[in-house]
Amino acid sequence: METAIRRPNWLSRLNAVWAPPAVLDFWLSRLNPLWSWGHARARVIELHPEADGVTTLVLRPNRHFRGFRPGQHVTVGVEIDGVRYTRSYSASDMPRADGRIRITVKTVEGGKVGAFLQTIPVGSVLSLGQAFGELCVPDEPAPCLMLAAGSGITPLLSLVNAQAAAGFRRPVRLAYWARTRAQLVQAEALRAFASRHPNFKVHFMLTGEASQAADELEGRIEPRHLTTLLSGDEQAHVLACGSYGFVERVREVLGDRCLSFRAEAFSPPPRVIDASDQGHVRVTLLKSGQTLDIPRNKSLLEALEEQGVKPRHGCRMGICNTCACGKSSGATRHLHDRSVQHEPTQALRLCIQAAQSDLSLEL
Amino acid sequence: MSKIYSRALSPDELDRFGEELDALRARTLATLGQGDADYIRRIMAGVRWLGLGGRVMLMVGAILGGTVMPLLLWPLCILGTVLLGLSKILENMEVGHNVMHGQYDWMGDPALQGRSYEWDIVGTSDSWRKTHNYSHHTWTNVRGMDDDIGYGLLRIFPEQRWKPFYLMQPVVAVVFALLFEWGVALQDLRIGRWFAGKMKGRTLLKMTTPVAKKAGKQVLKDYLLFPLLAGPYFLPVLLGNVVANLIRNVWTYMIIFCGHFTADSEVFPKECVRNETRGHWYLRQLRGSSNLTGGRIMNLWSGNLSHQIEHHFYPDIPANRYAAMAVEVREICARYGQHYNTGSLPKQFGTVIWRILRHAFPSKPGPARPLIAAG
Ligand code: FES
Repeated sequence: METAIRRPNWLSRLNAVWAPPAVLDFWLSRLNPLWSWGHARARVIELHPEADGVTTLVLRPNRHFRGFRPGQHVTVGVEIDGVRYTRSYSASDMPRADGRIRITVKTVEGGKVGAFLQTIPVGSVLSLGQAFGELCVPDEPAPCLMLAAGSGITPLLSLVNAQAAAGFRRPVRLAYWARTRAQLVQAEALRAFASRHPNFKVHFMLTGEASQAADELEGRIEPRHLTTLLSGDEQAHVLACGSYGFVERVREVLGDRCLSFRAEAFSPPPRVIDASDQGHVRVTLLKSGQTLDIPRNKSLLEALEEQGVKPRHGCRMGICNTCACGKSSGATRHLHDRSVQHEPTQALRLCIQAAQSDLSLEL
Repeated sequence: MSKIYSRALSPDELDRFGEELDALRARTLATLGQGDADYIRRIMAGVRWLGLGGRVMLMVGAILGGTVMPLLLWPLCILGTVLLGLSKILENMEVGHNVMHGQYDWMGDPALQGRSYEWDIVGTSDSWRKTHNYSHHTWTNVRGMDDDIGYGLLRIFPEQRWKPFYLMQPVVAVVFALLFEWGVALQDLRIGRWFAGKMKGRTLLKMTTPVAKKAGKQVLKDYLLFPLLAGPYFLPVLLGNVVANLIRNVWTYMIIFCGHFTADSEVFPKECVRNETRGHWYLRQLRGSSNLTGGRIMNLWSGNLSHQIEHHFYPDIPANRYAAMAVEVREICARYGQHYNTGSLPKQFGTVIWRILRHAFPSKPGPARPLIAAG
């Protein structure tokens, strides 16, 4: 999603009469694809393959990007076959003096954008949203234990880098789960930190291979790991990032053996679709802040109206586009051809779409 | 090709007719992609370059013509005016109209979103989305529901009740053509209802505010800011802008009137849309619309409204696909014994003019032409 910076002064207003932002953007982008009157964009300037299906991209944003804190995400928009797709990625490095952002992208099975970004030509321009996310190391100077699984490593890398830049003023321990050694991202850099700083320790936790090196352990997270990971630091801040299942498991295993617990769960996009139209889903209306349970077997327009919500509408048959509204997450099913759509969109026709999964709508 | 006189379809046939047209729609949707995105971006670029070229030409013509080379004044200003007019035509028809139908929503490009696009014309996009996308496209040619039938100003069909006012229609029609964009801008306000005392002044005022704001902006841009760029030589630039807008008005008027008001296009009574099936809806769109021949040039400069029939069948499919779809649509129509109303611009517009002149005087509807076969 692109974010516009508003400048509500008389000059902009006059400007908008001569040349509306869309027109200005057209001419600016002719001069330099990175330039825009109000939209954040970034150029891909470096591409580093990291591990199997994992690539790091270094991006140079234009001046509309307002920066980020370690542990935050940015939304990246790319155009594939004429369609703009957006995905959020965590910055995998701390903020740099030159303003560049590093993101680390992993291909998930059937994932369009991840695969596209693996081989994007250097020099391409992406659209960018402003950074968001709450994951951070608490200020209070107690030891810190970071637990990452799979792609969950990216925001933690950013936090580790920031700690390294500050010279590891507190003990930091990172445990990083992956199936195989070949899937580990930035293992050498992490080892290098560990050998230089007595305050930083890293453990690679392998679930599909036997451990060999001294800093490797085996198996999914279980209580015995905690003895190693918390050794001596019973009172630590714990940060965890990984799939929903991983984060829940950490919470369970950890119990109350920590000072504070912060976690961020991502789950891969739903791949198995229940094509039936039975049951109900939960719809979040972002503008009014309501949450409703609605049936999956009728058009969203009808279902919402039954709940007392009155979205704008006209024809009720998919012609006039009056009922179009933004959908920021969830899957919908087209009532005529039953095709299912997962992508976030700015224009979902409520009258000919039914809910397929939980949804958030801009209503 | 000899003319097929449309026959009434049985409910069964009607269902199959609708299914075939829906299938064509699905087939086309499945193939949308980079080519369509490139197309609309190319058109967008065309709009910008023509606009820039036109404005620069006007400016240079006015300043050079006013100072060192008076001979250049007319040629440059005329060229500039034509380019600017073409840019506006392309913007209104191929970009504005089509984007606002949501034809390019699937791209997810914020600059091409049907809900938020604002076009280069005095009317607001919001009111157009209401009068056109909703009223006109849903209730095409249904009397009392589609305001586009004569725009509340003209009597085009004998089914409209005659009033002495219509005797002035030939003059009214010409003025309306010249000021077409203003007509469209005011259409949604339904000032007539206020005159008739059916609407409160307060309501009218509230509805007028956005319209006045948009119109003010357009006037400021075309008739003040850009001319003032030429300083003391502003007059030719002002004139160029006025004429460019007029060219655009007259051209869009012709194209739009040819879409629904040709000799063979029909209007329908309100009863017609009660419990309307999908097939019936398609058939109504077909019988109420008419196309223009003229190949790629005509398609481009009419914003593909030369394929009005396909546009009414598939208002949200990118217009650059209509020409290809038309081949199949024609074939389907022929199989179901339906007249596919098309012809050259002079021929089609000729019949429009005939309608305007003829129905200025009292006239009686011909025999009813039902859409569905009785029994
Ligand atoms: S109400 Fe007309 S498209 Fe949904």
